[in-house]
Amino acid sequence: MKENKIEQEEMIIRQMMQSEMKKAPENLKFRIMHQIETRKALTPQKTKPKKVSGNVVREMGAIFGTMYAVLAAMVIGAYLLQGEDFLLTPQFIGPVVLVASVFSLFWLMTRLEAKLKARKK
Amino acid sequence: MNENQRVQQVLSGNTSAFAYFVETYQDMAITIAHRICGNMQDAEDVVQESYVKAYQNLHTFRSESKFSTWLYRIVYNTAITHSKTRMWMGMQETEIEHAYDRGENTLEINLEEMDRKEVVSDILQRMPKGDALLLTLYYMEDNPVKEIAKITGLNEPNVKVKLFRARKMFKDQLAACYRMEDVGFG
Repeated sequence: MKENKIEQEEMIIRQMMQSEMKKAPENLKFRIMHQIETRKALTPQKTKPKKVSGNVVREMGAIFGTMYAVLAAMVIGAYLLQGEDFLLTPQFIGPVVLVASVFSLFWLMTRLEAKLKARKK
Repeated sequence: MNENQRVQQVLSGNTSAFAYFVETYQDMAITIAHRICGNMQDAEDVVQESYVKAYQNLHTFRSESKFSTWLYRIVYNTAITHSKTRMWMGMQETEIEHAYDRGENTLEINLEEMDRKEVVSDILQRMPKGDALLLTLYYMEDNPVKEIAKITGLNEPNVKVKLFRARKMFKDQLAACYRMEDVGFG
């Protein structure tokens, strides 16, 4: 009996309280979403750092690939024009070393530039 | 689609999925904020700020608790900071007595002009803010004591005691306005 009374009272209070629920104005949702969208747009997006290892290998392959192609052309040319003995003379080895040095220097410079760019970012 | 899936959608960059949470909980959020701030304008600002905070900190939401509990806790904290209100401290018995007295003096006079909703609103405004908030959380959304404790930062026994006191105060104030039989408390 007493429990029923308490339950009834609870129910009445609940009904009364629920009638007191405030209603959010129509435009509040749009205000909130607009502010969220604006903040999102203004916040700089985190970009994933590009994987540089693939680039390095490709770059190396391109530079040294070209270098070996040039050297091969030089060897074939010298062999056909001057004969086998010419390949061991300083007149031939000098230009070979020069070509290898130029390409190595070029590769070194590209690597340095890439590092400086990464540090700036 | 459940709420956790929606949270994941928002986290993966779909901002518009957050509109669901705004639409679903904005009424209760504004009721809580209004209870603490005391006026609608501040309550709206608080709710807007709370939702933005919730969006920005959504990655910290742990799905063990209900999203509503987590959000209402943000609303509660933001409203308290905004209004610089002390919800639970410095509440003396004399203040409670004073709250009763004021109710008895004015409510009976104006009763005929006010409908039931306005009486409830008036009683809640006259009650200490913390107590009115507990009744709001307990009866409006059927939040269990455990959830109310999470929202308000009080411990569970404390919530129970305060809720009991708030309920009694509400009933007494109501009795000053209505004859008990009219309300159904006979």
